[in-house]
Amino acid sequence: MLGIKPGRRARASRRRLSITRTAVLAVFAIALSAMAGTFAYFLPSAKLAWDATGQVVSIPSPTPSPTSFSSPSPSPIAQPKDAFTVLLLGSDDDDKFYAEHVLTQSMILVRVVPSTHSVTMLSIPRDLYVPLSTGGTGKIDGAYSYGGAGAAIATVQNDFGVHINDYIWIGLLGLIKLIDAIGGIDVVTSNPVVDDLYPQDIFSNNPYGYERVAVLAGPQHLDGIHAMQYVRSRHNDLQSDIGRSKRQQQVLLAIRKKAKQTSPADVPNIAAALGGEIKTSIGLDRVAQLIPLASSFDNPDNITQLIMLPPLWHGGGPGGSLMPNWPAILAFVRQYFP
Amino acid sequence: MIARFFLGLGLCVLMLVSSFGTYMYLGGRQSKSALPAEKPTVAAPRPTAFRLPGTLYLAQSGAIYSLSIGRFHQLTPEGGWTQPSLYPDGSQLLAVRRLDFYSDVFVLGRFGQVLRQITNNAAPGRSNDTTAMHWSFYPRLSPDGGTLWMSYDEPKFGYDVPFSIWAMPIGGTIRQGRLWTNSHDYTGGDMQPIPLPSGGIMYTKYNSDPNDNLTGQLWLTTRATPGGNEGRPLTPQSDDCSEPSLSPDGGQVAMICTYQKQIAQLEIASWNGSSLGPRRAIITDQLVAQPAWAPDGSGIAYLAPTAATGPFQLWFLPKNAYNPPPPSPTPVPTPTPGGPYKGTLPSPTPAPPVTPPVIKPIQITMNAGFDATSPLAWAG
Repeated sequence: MLGIKPGRRARASRRRLSITRTAVLAVFAIALSAMAGTFAYFLPSAKLAWDATGQVVSIPSPTPSPTSFSSPSPSPIAQPKDAFTVLLLGSDDDDKFYAEHVLTQSMILVRVVPSTHSVTMLSIPRDLYVPLSTGGTGKIDGAYSYGGAGAAIATVQNDFGVHINDYIWIGLLGLIKLIDAIGGIDVVTSNPVVDDLYPQDIFSNNPYGYERVAVLAGPQHLDGIHAMQYVRSRHNDLQSDIGRSKRQQQVLLAIRKKAKQTSPADVPNIAAALGGEIKTSIGLDRVAQLIPLASSFDNPDNITQLIMLPPLWHGGGPGGSLMPNWPAILAFVRQYFP
Repeated sequence: MIARFFLGLGLCVLMLVSSFGTYMYLGGRQSKSALPAEKPTVAAPRPTAFRLPGTLYLAQSGAIYSLSIGRFHQLTPEGGWTQPSLYPDGSQLLAVRRLDFYSDVFVLGRFGQVLRQITNNAAPGRSNDTTAMHWSFYPRLSPDGGTLWMSYDEPKFGYDVPFSIWAMPIGGTIRQGRLWTNSHDYTGGDMQPIPLPSGGIMYTKYNSDPNDNLTGQLWLTTRATPGGNEGRPLTPQSDDCSEPSLSPDGGQVAMICTYQKQIAQLEIASWNGSSLGPRRAIITDQLVAQPAWAPDGSGIAYLAPTAATGPFQLWFLPKNAYNPPPPSPTPVPTPTPGGPYKGTLPSPTPAPPVTPPVIKPIQITMNAGFDATSPLAWAG
């Protein structure tokens, strides 16, 4: 008709088909390679995150406790909308200690109620003399040392009657690296924190040495090292461990505030910085669910910060420990951790 | 065959570009929060920036910078330099050089050259005994230029290492110094002395409140009182006020009050030499630090993050924002020449209410990160 022979038409058709096919192929190749690029970008952090999250907690068999609660095993959070409780543990993990037998100098119970966007933080004094889930009685900071996260969780659950869903453990270096990875934090430091005998155990060959620190007071931007000094020093605080617990809560909230400014693309850097310095029983999938949730807690009035003060305990326990006033402690804890 | 070869090659290149591009794109999507602050000399004020009067001295990353006619100049290397303050005649600077375990006060020329070391706080004999070292912070000169005031961590009581306010002759040693305040045990002590023309000092005292929370409080003392009478408070303890700054005419004080929260307010109050008038918040609900009055009284400079959190930038609040000019008087009708008008007068249109323009703070730097514990020094 138009002078085109059937053979030519078929070839032309193949050419047209091949253009379509080439286009499809190109789109597929772009999508595939973009996925490969994304995979390559997140792979190192995914591996580190996989190692750090979803830690299996082994719970030692419970021992008689002052509260006789009997459900020590943590359970994963059912739905993001359900209230849940996380036990935050901070340890001196320098060369003075075996890696798996560190004390938890900081123990903070955090209850999150997504439906009301409220958070309650309760610092447990590390020197509280309590029945340990691993047997016997001792300072509560030893529970982790004797039996890992499971023992720390079980001890808190047994003694305080609080059901713990998950835990997060972080070492000294981990906190420094985390704060540096997010670009430092802004804190109103409540008073000058000065210490002539601050442990020189993080960047030193002699973990038993001392150094001097002075964190000045007022609104300021702190890097990881100075934030660590602010939350760790206790010698110049009349309330010692209790006083620094208040500072730890301030820094924790400042980290949360700063973390809201980060983007998913920051995850590899943060994960690389934290490699091996953080452990949690929260699975990777749950972490992804919780990150957006954390950014929704904006109202400072919905954040309750609690410290255990006398008469919840009194001094004079064995080895400088604090003797708990269990009826008062349990009434106090039940009020905020129903 | 050749076409297929080129197609395959093209696809390979496309995939390479796509994967690499995606990787780079994701890298570029990182937040800027972890980026280190730029040097003020690099991150100069915006071209349209408001030019501050005189010369402002401030610290970043262990270096002291001056800001004059809209340009920053680095005066010292990044070597622990902080907390500049001016000689009364503006000819020289005092500054603190902070090393790992101690700090000393130096006299610097206005271009940053070290002229003299005033204190010697290293441990004697190169000892590593940390308890034998000292910190000196917040140096200030008396109005006559003869006395150095500073926060100094002596006396110490074992674990308790509080700061006290000391005064010493500028040409002397700490052995000639006088202890002016008695800091409270285990509080951090007394900081930020401001020498007053009357001979006394205003300073920040840290202390425990009835709930055992440590807070700052402005105090006034008019004489060295190591015996226990340490003056009197100027602000309530619960308001947690600190960082006092006296206006050039001596009639107002700017300060930072946090009310024990993790936000701060910049407040000003009148000052009659012995007591503060009612305080007025002029910057609220954000982090704010180190107010400094312009030497010509045109406003107040301060440090604050750009967003809710982040490195501290330099800001300036013009005077009209906190001291609005009085409203112009209502015009009085003047008699019309030629006598009263007999005709019908148009009904007067009510004048719209005059709303004073809202004066907002001016952000001077965008991506510097100034030391918010270092007071600003401002020369005329």
